[in-house]
Amino acid sequence: MSVEPFNRLVKLAARAFYDDITTKGDNQPKTGRSDNRGIAVVVLDALTRRQWVREEDLAKDLKLHSKQLRRTLRFFEEEKLVTRDHRRETAKGAKIFSAAVAATVDGQQTAKEGEEKIKLHTHSYCCLDYAQIYDVVRYRLQRMKKKLKDELENKNTVQEYICPTCAKRYTALDALRLISLDDEYFHCESCNGELVAESDKIAAQEGGEGDDNARRRRREKLKDMLQKMEVQLKPLIEQLSRVKDLPVPEFGTLQAWEVRARAAGRAANGDSSGIDPSRSSLGLGYGGSSLPFVGDTKVEVDLSGAEGKGEVIKSENESSLKVLPPWMIKEGMNLTKEQRGEAKQESKMDGSSASLEFTDDKKSLIENDDKKNIQDEYVKAYYAALLKKQQEIEEAAKKHDLSNAHSLNGLSSMSSSRQVGMKSKRDEDEGDDDVEWEEAPVASNANENYKVDLNIQADASGDDEDDDIDWEEG
Amino acid sequence: MFFHIVLERNMQLHPRHFGRNLRENLVSKLMKDVEGTCSGRHGFVVAITGIENVGKGLIRDGTGFVTFPVKYQCVVFRPFKGEILEAVVTMVNKMGFFAEAGPVQIFVSNHLIPDDMEFQSGDMPNYTTSDGSVKIQKDSEVRLKIIGTRVDATEIFCIGTIKDDFLGVINDPAAA
Ligand SMILES: [Zn+2]
Repeated sequence: MSVEPFNRLVKLAARAFYDDITTKGDNQPKTGRSDNRGIAVVVLDALTRRQWVREEDLAKDLKLHSKQLRRTLRFFEEEKLVTRDHRRETAKGAKIFSAAVAATVDGQQTAKEGEEKIKLHTHSYCCLDYAQIYDVVRYRLQRMKKKLKDELENKNTVQEYICPTCAKRYTALDALRLISLDDEYFHCESCNGELVAESDKIAAQEGGEGDDNARRRRREKLKDMLQKMEVQLKPLIEQLSRVKDLPVPEFGTLQAWEVRARAAGRAANGDSSGIDPSRSSLGLGYGGSSLPFVGDTKVEVDLSGAEGKGEVIKSENESSLKVLPPWMIKEGMNLTKEQRGEAKQESKMDGSSASLEFTDDKKSLIENDDKKNIQDEYVKAYYAALLKKQQEIEEAAKKHDLSNAHSLNGLSSMSSSRQVGMKSKRDEDEGDDDVEWEEAPVASNANENYKVDLNIQADASGDDEDDDIDWEEG
Repeated sequence: MFFHIVLERNMQLHPRHFGRNLRENLVSKLMKDVEGTCSGRHGFVVAITGIENVGKGLIRDGTGFVTFPVKYQCVVFRPFKGEILEAVVTMVNKMGFFAEAGPVQIFVSNHLIPDDMEFQSGDMPNYTTSDGSVKIQKDSEVRLKIIGTRVDATEIFCIGTIKDDFLGVINDPAAA
């Protein structure tokens, strides 16, 4: 199911019908500053790029006040464009949602990782209801056209009457009850006011009082409006017909969507495993965001860690994930290759895969994650330095490294690999694991980004080998 | 539109009608009760044309009344949107005019009267063309098209238009 045509429909409709909607109450003064026309369009556009979204998050993304956003959303709810859901939830529930979002909306989730200080609150979520939007837009067009045409032809319309004093409305079908014996007018049932026929309104707007001239002018105006409408709404109408036979995107209820999104996210992660660029980027995203928040990131890291674990355990198709020990070995192998100078990217690979392992470790995940990032940097720096020194030191540490690589389980192993392992790992390459290495190249694309970063870092920190060691000790 | 249909009704008959003429009494009471009434579902019952059957009477405790289920054929008149009717004008005012087609009341608002007819107040309020050749007033006969119906449980009210081809006055009593 493709959302794109429907999103285009939403955008066209937004610009056609909601461009000058202002959600300010009538009692508020309409100064230039409080004029928020156009926000409706912005909000709708933003929603086309999301599925279910927590309204606070949306407000933050749009830099809107949440009250203002809520007012707009409530308006759209009434317009039947948006479905909303409200629920009381704990911080954990909010996190589940964040995880679901992270799984579906690439690139937008990073900001959310840090802001999980929510207690038990009522949270509102909103989502576009594409099926209903399609109907609503068609209905709206139909009504517009019918109203204009009916009025133009002045035919087959049920005349409406309004009481000017109490604004009560009647139709010609009420005529029998409205006649008065005193005069020749209709009278309001409740206040006995004299009713006014409603279709005089347009004519009245122009100042004419129902005479022939006014009628003719009104006809012209209506014809004009009808024509303009057909011209100006043409893109919208075309989009409607384009969308007509497409399956409508359905996100379901908030709960259903959450479950599905998380499952999908997990599946995607599982497929890509360590090799897929998106997966590795995700991992990096988590890591990157968590770094600044070292203090309170515990939960988040836990989540990502848990997800990672889930993937590893659940995706049985992926033999590579299943067999963790081999993975470890692979990493070791990578390292060695890098040391040889074949590819620094691969060293990156090692880093990410190592992080995977860490999550599996029983050790505190938080530590692992943070350390992982830092370690990555250090590792890079280390490699850079190592490459230089390779020739000199190659022979020295081979035997130690071998043992290290096999036993790599946790941080300690990592550190050990850094310190001593670089050189020794080369030796391992020559061993059994070379075959597995060949599978890895796919990842190189994804890692290139990292490479760049890493290289930079490596350059900067290349001289800091000593620091690395200190860090590990700390 | 007219329909010939079979309806059923439970008739309660006073014991004094029992005897030789029971059936005739039953039918005449049925006619009195039903003809001219209106149900939202079937429309106006214009005339009973025959009795299909009279079921077994059931004597009611305490009163001695007997209830007979009666199936009868009848002609009903049910106006529909879009239907063309001929009607007699009953009242004219500034807002339009009322007309009757048999039991049905129809209101034609002034917006649905041709633009070239203008309202003239007076003893005989009417709508007249500028050259005076066509006039709608009380007792005029008009052909109109129903554009809306309001159907209640016991009442049907229609609104109509004469602003279309071949609609309007078909017989002007004043000219006759
Ligand atoms: Zn009133």
